[in-house]
Amino acid sequence: MTAGDAKEAFRKNESGKRLSSIIANDYLTLHQRASEGAFVVWIAIIVPAEIFAGFDNVVYAVPESHAALCAGKGAGTVLCEKAEASGYSADLCSYARIDIGTVLGGGADSPTFGLPKPDLLVSNNNNCSLLVKWFDVHHRTWGVPHFVLDIPFCYENQGADDFAYIMAQFGGLIRTIEGLSGQKFNIDRAREAVRLSSLALQEWRRFLSFASHRPSGITAFDSFVQMAPILTSRGTGQLVEHFRLLADETKEQVENGIFPVPQERYRLLWDNIAPWHQLRKMSARLKHLGANITSASYTYCIGALEGRYEAYGYDGGDPLAWLARLQNFSVCPHGLNLRSKAMKEVIERNAIDGVVFASNRSCKVYSLMQMDQMKRIREELDIPCVMIDVDHADERKYSEEAAFTRLEALLEMIDAGRA
Amino acid sequence: MEGFADSLQAMKAKGRAVIGCFPLYPPLELLHSFGLTPVVLWGMEPGPAGLARSDRHIQPYACRVARCLTEFVLSPGYGLMDALFMYNACDTLRNLPEILEGALRERGRPLPVFRIHIPAVSLHREEAARYMEARIKGLIADLAAFTGRQFSEQAFLRSIRLYRRQRSLSRDLQIQAARGGLRFADFSEALMTACRLPVEDHVALLEKTLEKAGAASHGGGMDKRRAVMISGILPPPRGLIEAMEASGLVIAANDIAALARSCSSSAAESSDAAAYYTEFYRDHSPCPTILFSSDRRLEAIRDEVMRHDIRGVVFAGEKFCEYEYFEYPYLAGMLEEMGVRSLFIETGADGALSPDVYKTRIETFARMLDT
Ligand code: SF4
Ligand code: SF4
Repeated sequence: MTAGDAKEAFRKNESGKRLSSIIANDYLTLHQRASEGAFVVWIAIIVPAEIFAGFDNVVYAVPESHAALCAGKGAGTVLCEKAEASGYSADLCSYARIDIGTVLGGGADSPTFGLPKPDLLVSNNNNCSLLVKWFDVHHRTWGVPHFVLDIPFCYENQGADDFAYIMAQFGGLIRTIEGLSGQKFNIDRAREAVRLSSLALQEWRRFLSFASHRPSGITAFDSFVQMAPILTSRGTGQLVEHFRLLADETKEQVENGIFPVPQERYRLLWDNIAPWHQLRKMSARLKHLGANITSASYTYCIGALEGRYEAYGYDGGDPLAWLARLQNFSVCPHGLNLRSKAMKEVIERNAIDGVVFASNRSCKVYSLMQMDQMKRIREELDIPCVMIDVDHADERKYSEEAAFTRLEALLEMIDAGRA
Repeated sequence: MEGFADSLQAMKAKGRAVIGCFPLYPPLELLHSFGLTPVVLWGMEPGPAGLARSDRHIQPYACRVARCLTEFVLSPGYGLMDALFMYNACDTLRNLPEILEGALRERGRPLPVFRIHIPAVSLHREEAARYMEARIKGLIADLAAFTGRQFSEQAFLRSIRLYRRQRSLSRDLQIQAARGGLRFADFSEALMTACRLPVEDHVALLEKTLEKAGAASHGGGMDKRRAVMISGILPPPRGLIEAMEASGLVIAANDIAALARSCSSSAAESSDAAAYYTEFYRDHSPCPTILFSSDRRLEAIRDEVMRHDIRGVVFAGEKFCEYEYFEYPYLAGMLEEMGVRSLFIETGADGALSPDVYKTRIETFARMLDT
């Protein structure tokens, strides 16, 4: 092992270890508090969890995040199969199938033993409205109330009417929880959670900013893995601290000349959800080719307004207003023009050589604009692009050989453009 | 698809301004009251050229409805439309407007696209009703600017009456179909023709069909053991329906978005468009795409099954339609508890089964109903 390798290993161990313990601890705490009588809410990823900090004893679980964890730990296929055996089509989103499979199996194959049973389901339609259908499955099976947040899709930036509509719905959500849990909402506690989330997201941006270094200080795979606590520890000091240390560690390594792909020849951008079942394999094989996927729309959108790159900071005002304004950030809730705008900015900022559009039949909302977006990026920025087929959580729908044939073709196109 | 283009051509020849509407339940009355001829862009089949234009823009794992719509809008037929209208009926459709706008611009014939967001939560919620009202007012302003006409309460009421008549005739025809007055395939064709005719002509066609069906009706006496309901987004292909009827199945009811779900709902007459559409969508016949109708949908299906003494339900699944697919396992379980069997058949552009495969499965299903 060279000195460089040793330092690289050190980096992975430190941030990786801290991450593992945060995630393990978050799931343990969730189960424990639920068993001690906390009011349990299951939420879709974009539901603003900071609101729950405004209550004494409300905990939340994110089935999508749990499904990603299952897929990353190799349990995706078996859980999908359980759902399919009960009649859920293999064409449905693999996160949903994993979650339904987890529930059907009583948490048996899940690395976290599933999630504690909810008292309330809160879904929304900003990422996709199939989330509403998915949560309805549980609503019907368990008879648990289901609150839906209706977030209008943004073809242009979020409008004032949309904002007011979202704010009013947040009020409805708060009243619903108050009514069901018997707890009173305290806006100052939610304000503190929002302040911490905003700080954490600024640190997250600082971490992502090392993608602009040449060679890049990070890979998109690091960002995929490290985003997990945003979904389990939102609005906490722990999250701020973790991202601060992560950004500091990354900075230190860049200053010491330690890079994830030291022989970096190709800087790529990934468009779609992380291929959870392939993180290690794909990053290692790309590294071998001198390629680094340095940036991903899936992670650079976090904390920015729709179509932008810079973090949307909290100004200390109404915390619910900050949360409402950010409701369209996560790529799927906004349109082609906005998606292209943010992507172009990242391509320029991070000196991207080529774009990988991961066409994901599980996630149509992410994918069904990619052909036009690819055309725009090619034509307007003269950047080579490829489209590969990947299901983010169902490994059966991925062919490594087919994907790498295209990825290698992309690298050849980049070389040809340089010649 | 050709049939569609021919129909539009005929409308254009009569000087009509055609507005192509994305499915499923656009505000037809309002569009019509501005002198436009709305056509809902569904029920198309790929033409001889397949879906090549669509395939250049959207992946083949989009549903057939979205792919055919894209293909049609980008085909030379686009010249036959004056504008497009879409609302957030589903995730797939919400991704399309910018794609179509861009592709049409490239073809040198941009079309105005009117978009509105219809609340996906109950319109009993005050904020949703308020939001809805603002959307309808906005749409009225856009339509006024586009057509050069002002909103007219009288014209709106006239349009409401026409569409109420159309829906009421459709329901009557449905009853006649269940009584054997006409074959289900002919009934669904008569209703789907709504997408290709001005509503005035469609009303006339329904009246004629109804008259004929009434004369042919044998007024009941069907084999109740084989009474089935079909559920799905679009009527299944004719071959499938015929296979069902040939095996003795009696299609006594349907829960098809383009048929019963479209014609079962009418809001009360009102010259206030916002109030009308708030009621229209709030109380709309349940559909998996109307997210807040989820609980009502279970009741509605139970009621329909009991009302018609349904023994089996055939789910004609539109491949890749997640809205429908999420519901099947629960519905099948619920029906089983009621002693009702279900059969699931997948349809869709690339995944349609051959009539022979349908036949075998349907015959087996029909025999199962006898046991
Ligand atoms: S379809 Fe996409 S956005 Fe929706 S839950 Fe699945 S992965 Fe998430
Ligand atoms: S079939 Fe389903 S997915 Fe397709 S357009 Fe209709 S509702 Fe949307």
